[in-house]
Amino acid sequence: MNAIPASAPLSADAEARRALGFLADLSQALALTLDLRQTLERAVTRIADFMQAEAASLFLRDSSGRLECRVCVGPVDITGLKLDVGQGVVGRAVAENATQIVRDAQTDARVNSRVDAETGFVTRSMLCAPLSTAQGAIGALEVINRRDGGLFEQADAEILRLIAAPAALAISNATLAEGLVEQQRIKRELELARKIQKSLLPKRRRGDFPVIGVNLPAHEISGDFYDYFDLPDGRIAFLIGDVSGKGLDAAFLMVRVASLLRWAGKSAPAPARWLASVNAELCKTLQDGRFVCAVVGQFDPRDGSVVFASAGFPPALRHDGHAFEEFLADGPPLGILDDVEYGERRLELGDDALYLFSDGATDVRDGAQATLGSDGLRRLIAQQSDLAPEPRLRALIGELKRLRLVDDTTFLLLQRPRGKAARLVLTLDFMAQPAEMRAVRAALRGALDAEEVPPELRDQLVLVVDEACTNVMRHAYCTFCDQRIALRVSRERDMLDFQIVDDAPAIDPERVRPRELGECRAGGLGVAFMDSLMDEWRIRPRRGGKGNVLHMRKRIMSGEQE
Amino acid sequence: MSNTTNECVRETHGDLVLVRLRGEVDLSWSQQVRRTILDALGAAPKVGVELSQVSYIDSSGIAALVEGFQSARSSGRKFGLVASSGAVMSVLQLARLDKVFPLFPSIEAAQAA
Repeated sequence: MNAIPASAPLSADAEARRALGFLADLSQALALTLDLRQTLERAVTRIADFMQAEAASLFLRDSSGRLECRVCVGPVDITGLKLDVGQGVVGRAVAENATQIVRDAQTDARVNSRVDAETGFVTRSMLCAPLSTAQGAIGALEVINRRDGGLFEQADAEILRLIAAPAALAISNATLAEGLVEQQRIKRELELARKIQKSLLPKRRRGDFPVIGVNLPAHEISGDFYDYFDLPDGRIAFLIGDVSGKGLDAAFLMVRVASLLRWAGKSAPAPARWLASVNAELCKTLQDGRFVCAVVGQFDPRDGSVVFASAGFPPALRHDGHAFEEFLADGPPLGILDDVEYGERRLELGDDALYLFSDGATDVRDGAQATLGSDGLRRLIAQQSDLAPEPRLRALIGELKRLRLVDDTTFLLLQRPRGKAARLVLTLDFMAQPAEMRAVRAALRGALDAEEVPPELRDQLVLVVDEACTNVMRHAYCTFCDQRIALRVSRERDMLDFQIVDDAPAIDPERVRPRELGECRAGGLGVAFMDSLMDEWRIRPRRGGKGNVLHMRKRIMSGEQE
Repeated sequence: MSNTTNECVRETHGDLVLVRLRGEVDLSWSQQVRRTILDALGAAPKVGVELSQVSYIDSSGIAALVEGFQSARSSGRKFGLVASSGAVMSVLQLARLDKVFPLFPSIEAAQAA
């Protein structure tokens, strides 16, 4: 901007050209500025010169909505002065989003006389234009007292309004840009927080580790956590939790609770006692009605036994590949009542899976906003039950991600490894009718041939499976009706695994006993064949009351080598 | 494996009534096998069950043979298995019944018994 000769009297045309030139310079300077604060200071000085004013100031709304003097030139420095919107001439310009002209300040009621009274400055005449944007006035530009002692006129007000426009635009843009920069800064910091949080979760172990966890934050950071660690006695301690609330505060609390639970679990306390000790500590320190849902326990992968206790966590789900069993919480969430005694439970999981999951897993929404719910989650788990634990959990997460997560979602899966790859050899689902068995035998023979099972062993296995199925028809279903039998054969290295599932009323496994072989009588041979040909077998009722599962295993020596 | 259709035929060879079985003897038709064997025992002093074309037999089929054997013994008749296929022999061995039944390699041997 060029210095403006102040004194020479000019024609109206020349005045207009001078104003346009000034406006063009000002607009350009504001548009090109890299440092708005500095540019505004210079601009306000030049506006004062151009308007022939003794003083000029620029007010902007602060974060609380009040007006603050950000730039000021003239005999009295009022930088930092705060006004309410509507207060004084400046406040009124903003409130009304309209230019104010004060010809005689001494008699005008709009004028705030306090500044004059405090500073000794005498305000005679004022102009104030709002800094208008699409979002309303973000501040105001004010000039005070003509240097020539004259009064500001309507034409001066028009010029100030024109000058205010590019200033408003520049300030508005800069504010938006500042907001974006701030948002990006917060995003970067949240990303760092997310990485740190993630680093607190245990590393996935190599090989067939029997505990697998996964955490999907709904946003950058999570209020969920899980952890597991080896105990000196060979068991694995595990914990999973969900801090109430979302956002940074929940995330901070999660970090604290996770380490508290981990430390309390180091000495392998009984899960009920483990929860109680952490609960007592949290009750002393948690505030604002916060609480924590959690499950803690110890899993012994050698015999598949698990002992755990749940503080208000969603029900644990046991799945045997066919049916689910649900275990409700053993007490209230942590941090609410300081003298709670928790129950705990012990399960012989065997080869079954135990799923622990935060409520985010059932809160996922489909396109129609309907939640997945417990039944939906069970359906997803059942669909993946043929997979080994890790790919199964991955597939499950994949399914959940196809829906919309609304809350942090965390899973912990406990299951003894079934070896590297239990490979499906055959699955059949057929009517429980003897006439079906010929086709079943043919399919099984074909499948066993494909596995290069020697013919003699193949025929024995076919016989045993046939006997098992016809026993279901004769003794479990009793009458030949429209019930079904599911046969599933899988192979893990040289171990063949046969599973026969029915929907018949649960039978008492104790009553299924082999007869003596060599005894010359009809009947009861089937179980005897099973007993003598298979390496192991067991029959047990399906969870949920209806149906039975017969499991048989046989090691085959040919074919795949270890 | 053979795709032979299941068949249960009664033949007379002199004083021997032969029940000739073919196919896969299982629960779906072992009752028919049982009936045929018991009927034959009611009609002849000597009954043989020809098993050379049996590719599979389950415990219900074995039970039908056991019942025939027991029925013959209690009524003083003769009962034996003729030309048992490998499939039948292995199930009999598995059930430890291979030493229980009189086994004949041929119809002629059964007739001579």
